[in-house]
Amino acid sequence: MTRDELNAHRLIKEAHEANARLNSRRHFLKESAMGLGALAMGSLLGSCGNLFSSPQTKIAYDPAHPLLPKSPPLVGKARSVIYLHMAGAPSQLELFDFKPELMKMDGQDCPPSLLAGKKFAFITGVPKMLGPQANFAKYGQSGALVSDNLPHFSTMVDEVSFLKAVKTDQFNHAPAQLLVHTGSPRLGRPSMGSWVTYGLGSENQNLPGYVVLTSGGSFPDAGKSVWGSGFLPSVYQGVQCRSEGDPVLFIKDPDGMNRDLRKASIEAINKANEQQYQEYNDPEILSRIAQYEMAYRMQISAPEVMNINDEPAYIHEMYGTQPGKACFANNVLLARKLVEKGVRYVQLFDWGWDAHGDNPNNSLNIGLKNKCRTIDRPITALLLDLKQRGLLEETLVVWGGEFGRTPMMENRNGIQNPFKGRDHHTEAFTIWMAGGGVKKGFTHGETDEIGYSAISGKVDAFDIQATILNQLGFDHEQFTYPFQGRPFRLTDVAGKVISEIVA
Amino acid sequence: MLLKKKILFASGFVLVVITLIAFSLFSSEKRIDFNTQVKPILNKKCISCHGGVKQQGGFSVLFREEALAKTKSGKPAIIPGNPEDSEFIKRLKSSDPDERMPYKHPALNNDEIDILSGWIKQGAKWGNHWAYVSVKPTELPDIDNDWIRNDLDKFIFAKLEENKLEPSKTADKATLLRRVSLDLIGTYPSDELAKFYLNSKNEQAAYNVLVDSLLASPKFGERWASMWLDIARYADTKGYESDPNRDIWSYRDWVIKAFNRDMPYDRFITDQIAGDLFPNPTDAQYIATAFSRNTPTNDEGGTNNEEFRTAAVLDRVNATWEGLMSTTFSCVQCHSHPYDPFKHDEYYKFTSYFNNTRDEDVSAEYPLLKDFNDSLKNELNHLTGWVKTVAGKESAAEVDLFLKTGQPAINSTTADELVNSVIGNHNIALYFKNSSSARLKSVNLENVDQLIFRYNCSKPGGTMSLHLGSPNGPVVKSWKLAQTKGYENVEVDFAKQSGVKDVYLKYTNSSVKNPDEFMVYFDWFYFTKQFPGKGMPEYVANKKRFTDLMNAKVPTTPIMVENPLSMQRKNYVFERGAWTSKGKEVKVGVPNSLAFAMPKNAPNNRMGLAMWLTDKRNPLVSRTMVNRLWEQLYGAGLVETLEDMGTQGMAPTHQELLDFMAYQFMYKYNWSVKKMLKELVMMATYRQDSKVTEELKEKDLFNKFYARGSRIRLSAEQIRDQSLAVCGVLSNKMYGPPVMPWQPEGIWFSPYSGAKWVLSGGEEQYRRGIYTYWKRTAPYPSAIAFDGASRVVCSPRRIRTNTPLQALVTLNDSVYIDLARKLALRMEKVGGSTSKSKIAKGYELILYKTIPQNRLKVFEDLYAKAFGEFRKNSASVSAFMGDKQKKFKPEEAAMVLVANAMLNLDEVVTKN
Repeated sequence: MTRDELNAHRLIKEAHEANARLNSRRHFLKESAMGLGALAMGSLLGSCGNLFSSPQTKIAYDPAHPLLPKSPPLVGKARSVIYLHMAGAPSQLELFDFKPELMKMDGQDCPPSLLAGKKFAFITGVPKMLGPQANFAKYGQSGALVSDNLPHFSTMVDEVSFLKAVKTDQFNHAPAQLLVHTGSPRLGRPSMGSWVTYGLGSENQNLPGYVVLTSGGSFPDAGKSVWGSGFLPSVYQGVQCRSEGDPVLFIKDPDGMNRDLRKASIEAINKANEQQYQEYNDPEILSRIAQYEMAYRMQISAPEVMNINDEPAYIHEMYGTQPGKACFANNVLLARKLVEKGVRYVQLFDWGWDAHGDNPNNSLNIGLKNKCRTIDRPITALLLDLKQRGLLEETLVVWGGEFGRTPMMENRNGIQNPFKGRDHHTEAFTIWMAGGGVKKGFTHGETDEIGYSAISGKVDAFDIQATILNQLGFDHEQFTYPFQGRPFRLTDVAGKVISEIVA
Repeated sequence: MLLKKKILFASGFVLVVITLIAFSLFSSEKRIDFNTQVKPILNKKCISCHGGVKQQGGFSVLFREEALAKTKSGKPAIIPGNPEDSEFIKRLKSSDPDERMPYKHPALNNDEIDILSGWIKQGAKWGNHWAYVSVKPTELPDIDNDWIRNDLDKFIFAKLEENKLEPSKTADKATLLRRVSLDLIGTYPSDELAKFYLNSKNEQAAYNVLVDSLLASPKFGERWASMWLDIARYADTKGYESDPNRDIWSYRDWVIKAFNRDMPYDRFITDQIAGDLFPNPTDAQYIATAFSRNTPTNDEGGTNNEEFRTAAVLDRVNATWEGLMSTTFSCVQCHSHPYDPFKHDEYYKFTSYFNNTRDEDVSAEYPLLKDFNDSLKNELNHLTGWVKTVAGKESAAEVDLFLKTGQPAINSTTADELVNSVIGNHNIALYFKNSSSARLKSVNLENVDQLIFRYNCSKPGGTMSLHLGSPNGPVVKSWKLAQTKGYENVEVDFAKQSGVKDVYLKYTNSSVKNPDEFMVYFDWFYFTKQFPGKGMPEYVANKKRFTDLMNAKVPTTPIMVENPLSMQRKNYVFERGAWTSKGKEVKVGVPNSLAFAMPKNAPNNRMGLAMWLTDKRNPLVSRTMVNRLWEQLYGAGLVETLEDMGTQGMAPTHQELLDFMAYQFMYKYNWSVKKMLKELVMMATYRQDSKVTEELKEKDLFNKFYARGSRIRLSAEQIRDQSLAVCGVLSNKMYGPPVMPWQPEGIWFSPYSGAKWVLSGGEEQYRRGIYTYWKRTAPYPSAIAFDGASRVVCSPRRIRTNTPLQALVTLNDSVYIDLARKLALRMEKVGGSTSKSKIAKGYELILYKTIPQNRLKVFEDLYAKAFGEFRKNSASVSAFMGDKQKKFKPEEAAMVLVANAMLNLDEVVTKN
């Protein structure tokens, strides 16, 4: 290595340490309880290409402490993110985007102008138009429209910024979900949570920095790739926490081993490793010692935070939890607990929103209503609960799907589906954000009179990513990771902060 | 007129004189090197606005002809020999912030400006990046020292001397045994071999035997295949939504066998890129082409097959460049390469090599190679032999290809002009109702008198017909379409046809009342000639053979099969990389800038490409492989960025050594991986002790000069395989379908998928990591925790991390608890009578060496503590031993706990 490279290493390390010192007192108190971990200070693993990167990359990846909290380059309003993804893509036309004109067209053949040159996932030939399958009213000071599918949530509209003209170019679930969370419809890129934990670390070293919770009986369509770390070090991949089985994989001691024995065994491992360090002098050994300590602490913290039974009855009531089951309401309550403990990015996926109308559970007037019932109270409670704890301002809550639904009724393979349902639609759908420094009681973007196309305030996945990063204190164009000889970013070559909704 | 000429002459003369003076003046100056001095500045400070992506002001510094060309201002920015008048230099020095470059960025320092000025003065000569120039023989450093064991060491030693560093002494036998075994076979050697080496009097000779034995072990192939499968993005599922199973493990087995046979690397690549294009490909050569079929495919309802077929083609291009040539070619998908000399259209020329295969993202994954058993193979040989005698070589080859691969067939999903018919979910198959029709476009009907097709029909009484040119065009054939039980293959004969024509399929069934009811589902159509030799002896028997082989239900593997001429696709540039916006048409070709031409006689297909890749003039292929082998042993390549040897990759630490090895690999060892690896592990450099001295910590923390052995954490596979070996349960079974060792509940949860993780029984629990079932969207958790690649795209390098989640795996995963129990049993059995001797034995089983006293004390204390706890609570003993029915002694449980702790030691999960 050249002297310059060595210096670069030192500088990065120093900057990093200075940065760590500047960080919250709270964090420092936690760290000081680490004991042996302090030994690991000088540790650095074999170098990585990113340390010799282009000047715009200011984030130092310290393999020994990859999750230490870091300050964002800009002033961020949000400290953490809770992303509620309704996998399968909920219908904007039955939730937020009220289209009386569409009601008038109900049952008519779809005009050719809406079909010419368009591709749909399932619609074949000429489908019928389908009016809104819900009743709408205006709510709150902002007068936002919400359907009767979400009666509780309608009381929260004055906390929320709606994006009504979101577009995508992917009309299949897996690619569209990948686009939303990784910036590419293909497999292999790091997810947003990975980027955020890479950039900001985590405020709690005893818990994973990026937690994923799933419900609805299936993983999201793109599987674990939507919380993968792509080309970022794998330490930044989302860690799935579960409400059944081990809350974190392998967190539970083996049967018959009590905490005392585990403590004794980790102490023995670390003592032997220290001896080995005396012999080999390799800083990487110190890093391993720290990781074993951290594992021990995580074994205590994770089950604690993942246990919702200690929450008071009124909280359970508010969220509508079902203790002991894997359900969305439990996950939302967990998300609040995790954010409270300093987890940086909590990603929820709730599967089962793909209302095609090919069976009752998949229809707009039965299945969708049932799904709405399972999220209405939890999402309302989340906003209220974060607010009452003073956490809403620093927690960005995002709700949405991967695309929208067509104003036409689905006719799969040219035959009208047996139940009321809509096909995948790329040209317009609704996503909302709340807290984390976005405007309250605000709506941005609008669609045409039947909700087919966005006509103003169009945004896409990259704009949403840029905005989330912005709220966290990143300029999405400067927030890069060097890979394959060039700086990669979450938003690739696109994305514009949706400044209209930034408070 | 005359006058003018004179002036011209005069001025020309002056110019010559000036040039001569200039030359004599500057030639005494130190020559400025483009690659090491100029290019880094251009890349860092200029190229993001003046390169492959953007050319602000019409100026680019990517290629010489671009840099010297006229810019938007009408004048060139660089005038060779004249830095003073070169706008390029003026702008760097300007004091006007609107003029000064880099625009809105800090100015270049004086040293940098001097380098650029000097370079222009010296003629602004371009240089080829070192890695893009063919490998030439490298001179050995003129150096001699007792430490040196082979030529490669000389390069290392020279650099150490240069940096005033001393190499380390040779590592002790135990450490070296473990190191070289993990490196060469990924696990532990047989006890006999280990004993032989550890007890040897002549270490040097014994080491040689040890290395040769390891190289000859069948475990060698398993270890090196693990590396290759990351490049090949091998997985046992397809990826995306339901992420269904893919039977492609024959390819994994092929890779293992190829490494074990020491198949020369050029051949190894050729078979994988173009095995199907050999004159009479063997099954193994077909299976090798599954390299390119490991791409993810998408079966999600409503996806566009052509979109994901295209994605797979691009993925093949990127894997070829990143995996085989350490080049980030994927950058060129959207625009010319920002830093390296590759142009946008060159990407699509190269893509064209892969764009003409039969695979079309259909869920059946056609084309598939049928894995006939020996008796069916005999049948096939007999049959094709007979066809050859009655109808000639060509007919025999056609029959052979069709029976083995089902090709070249038309997938029903490509039908269009659908009347009253659909492609189910836009991607499954062609569905017909009563009175449906559809078109098969441009079918080659030359000499065709038969259609073989695969279909499923739920209703009797329908009539099917084939028409030429339009749904009501001339009838080729009309026949009663039989009801089937599921999908069946059927042959229909008709009069001999000619030319290339659109064929329309029509179906009517007047017995059906419901106009919306689908009843015929087509899979594929194969237009061909009737089985030859009608009336000849043995015709009937051979015809039956044909039908039986066609319908034989046998295991299959997705492979590459090239489109016949009549089905060739056209190739286009994708504007900004989007497959939907096709630009100009292109023909196959390789990038110009790699400075050597296609080998003579190279055909314009993947075989030609393979010839180009394995041509000894190809500057990247050999360098990439030796760099990768080095990385596998030392944890970092000589070029650390294995994915990028271009100008933006990290500079090599020992370029001459890399080139020397690359040359050796091709010319001395004829691409033999085993010989190259032997050369590497025989180095004194490799055999050094890995202790870090204070001096080295200060001067070379990352061991870039190799003054000591490398210490690196084991890979996911090595951690598993080592543990299986030391616990005495490692299965020696090789090959076959992937296995499912224990994994926690609830890892598999794909939508629309009933696939379950079904625990493998018996010995299968203890197979090597390479045989573990790999589901792309939910990979084996403990392997992923230890940085296993997710295998969705080519991964040229795993970046090691060190996290608490890894500790949790080896502490708590049932697999490791089970193994700790097994290890404790071994310690019990062979460790003597005291807990002390058992602990010492356990350590020795794991690390081949005597436990140091202080370590022994740590584990004795742990044992005592555990024994105390377990003695108090007999329920916890049986729980911990995993069998509540059986009685165990607290001593046994305490020893399992110690074994578990020992398997977690840093020196155990690390190669020392």
